Amino acid sequence: MDLGLRGKKAIVTGATKGIGRQIVELLAAEGCDVALCARSEDEIDEAVRSLKARGVNVVGGAVNVRDGEAYKAWLEKAVAELGGCDIFVPNVSAGGGMDSEKNWWKNFEVDVLHTVRGCETLMPHLEKSGHGSIVMISSTNAVETFYVPMAYNAMKAALITYSKQLSQFVGRKNVRVNTVCPGPIYFEGGAWEMIKSTNQKMYDATLKAMPNGRFGSPEEIARVVAFLASPAASIITGANVVADNGYTKRVQF
Amino acid sequence: MATNPKDSPPEGLIERSRTPQYKRVRRVAPEDSPETPAGKAPDPDLGHGMIPKERYTSTEFMQLEWDRMWTKVWLLGGLESDIPEPGDYICTEIGKESVLIVRQRDGGVRAFYNVCLHRGNRLRPEGVSSAESFKCQYHHWEYDLDGSFLRIPDLDTFPQGAPPCRGLVELPCDTWGSFVWFSLNPEVEPLREFLDPMPQHLDPYNFHKMALTRDITVEWACNWKASVDAFNESYHVQGIHPQLLYYLHDLDIQIDCYERHNRYLIPFGTVSPRVRKPPTIPDPIKVIMKGAGMDPADYDEPIENIRRDVQRWKRKHGASQGKDYSRLNDDQLTDDYHYLIFPNVTLNVHADDLMLFRQRPHPTDPNLMYYDVWTLELVPDGQERPRRPRHQQFKYGDKSIGLVLDQDAQNLPGVQAGMNSAAFKGLWIGSQELRIRHFHKVLDDYVYGPGGKPPGAA
Repeated sequence: MDLGLRGKKAIVTGATKGIGRQIVELLAAEGCDVALCARSEDEIDEAVRSLKARGVNVVGGAVNVRDGEAYKAWLEKAVAELGGCDIFVPNVSAGGGMDSEKNWWKNFEVDVLHTVRGCETLMPHLEKSGHGSIVMISSTNAVETFYVPMAYNAMKAALITYSKQLSQFVGRKNVRVNTVCPGPIYFEGGAWEMIKSTNQKMYDATLKAMPNGRFGSPEEIARVVAFLASPAASIITGANVVADNGYTKRVQF
Repeated sequence: MATNPKDSPPEGLIERSRTPQYKRVRRVAPEDSPETPAGKAPDPDLGHGMIPKERYTSTEFMQLEWDRMWTKVWLLGGLESDIPEPGDYICTEIGKESVLIVRQRDGGVRAFYNVCLHRGNRLRPEGVSSAESFKCQYHHWEYDLDGSFLRIPDLDTFPQGAPPCRGLVELPCDTWGSFVWFSLNPEVEPLREFLDPMPQHLDPYNFHKMALTRDITVEWACNWKASVDAFNESYHVQGIHPQLLYYLHDLDIQIDCYERHNRYLIPFGTVSPRVRKPPTIPDPIKVIMKGAGMDPADYDEPIENIRRDVQRWKRKHGASQGKDYSRLNDDQLTDDYHYLIFPNVTLNVHADDLMLFRQRPHPTDPNLMYYDVWTLELVPDGQERPRRPRHQQFKYGDKSIGLVLDQDAQNLPGVQAGMNSAAFKGLWIGSQELRIRHFHKVLDDYVYGPGGKPPGAA
């Protein structure tokens, strides 16, 4: 099956490591030109070098998405350098934590507002595409109780609602909007690698909750995202795709 | 040695086993440390020989150790704050001996063998308490707080009279650092001479402003030195404390050996180069930040800046939190300044707390020991001192003593059992374990004379 991604222009935020990195790697492998941002200049340089080896156009930027103006300016610059935008994957997250009220502001600003700002900034370009597609990254923490009532979980839930309603709003402009809820994803340098050392009990309990007895990988999430982002998924919009190795227990009607 | 190719290390072993590369941790310049010396002491040349295992397992060595070391050195007896009033006393045991440390009416402190001169009965059980006098429960021979005979019932029925002495057999006793020390050696050098240079290093922490918050003794199935060794190197962190790799730098350790004591400085609040940089602040480091009054959720800098920023934060806000850090250098505000006061006192010293381990030999069995844990916490100015916790004593495995110490404890019976095996000849020590080598050198100096080595050692 040809996904029809060749020549498409994709922007992915937070894409030097983990899920985001595998998304840009896969999109580039499928022939997309890609723009990616992250906070660390060094990490961006490394990722851009590696992606360019795939023979596509690559744009990198060191930007903190909490800084709305700098972030929007970078998105416009990325569109200009790519020559348009067909795909947007807002992937940056502030991560979990229950330290103080500040966690709520942080998850709101990073997880929610950076997604909203990105969608609004890029919408005119996505409308021009004719195959515009947004894939938001939520979490299974949004749909089932996960350990503690963190801001992360509630803010990830906000994305599912926003995604669905945005999909109705922009559908007539041929822009599709979908969400992916990854379950626990293990990768080197990821949160679960640390939890394996710092909280063995939580790690073991989480592993046990997955019927196939293993964590998900960023590559697996990237394949779901790439499909939803591609013209091959032209019929799917407003969907929330749970990609979790069976980690969640609810029946999804 | 390995002349037979069969005895050579397997191919590729060195390549597979290399220490990870790392960037050095920023450390305070020696001139920026107000009191505690921060500079590196020259490493002693102690060779690379094997440390023979018999010292952990044999009753013969245990006896030598008793005769030539335990009965020669100064020993930690207890906390001065436990005996503020005349008559308050600490009854503590070391090996087969029991000692009474008593606050005198003149405010001084004296120590005595806890032995009635009549028939040898112990006067008091182990613990902290208070007395008007010490009356033996057997025949009521009674001694004053200064050890002198107060009353010997029916003395007129002893034709030979009272024992030809003043009373209880007295021992050298002195105080330093909020602690009381005693010695079984009547000829022992002055305490400060023995402790040198520890007071200069540790006085700036103001231990007298700290309060005891935990007081436990656990019986461990290992030789006391296996416990001392366990805390004298950071090499085992990657082995048995994987969670601490997200808490401290286990490779960039400054080791300093002094005449008989030693220390190492472990940077806390940073991630080990053995693990990848995590995506969020590790929970253990959040604990450090919260302890300083910082909000991890409000911290937007890279993880590698946390140690520096906690130091700055404490320097700035310490006084308003009632914590006087003026005598400490910046590294002391985050790091573990970890000391061994020879022979058996391990101190994890931090700006806001002290975790002290006293490792005591079993009276008769080299395969057993007593592991005392005293945790002291800084009481901010204006706050009430917490109530002293009750002393608890139990055997290994009966209760948890916290994740990290449980991990250490769990390991030691296996170490002791393995050392008793015919297959094991001695300790194969690396440079990360220099403090272990130094500790055993000092022990050898006592047991075999200065510069002396065990029989058969290279």
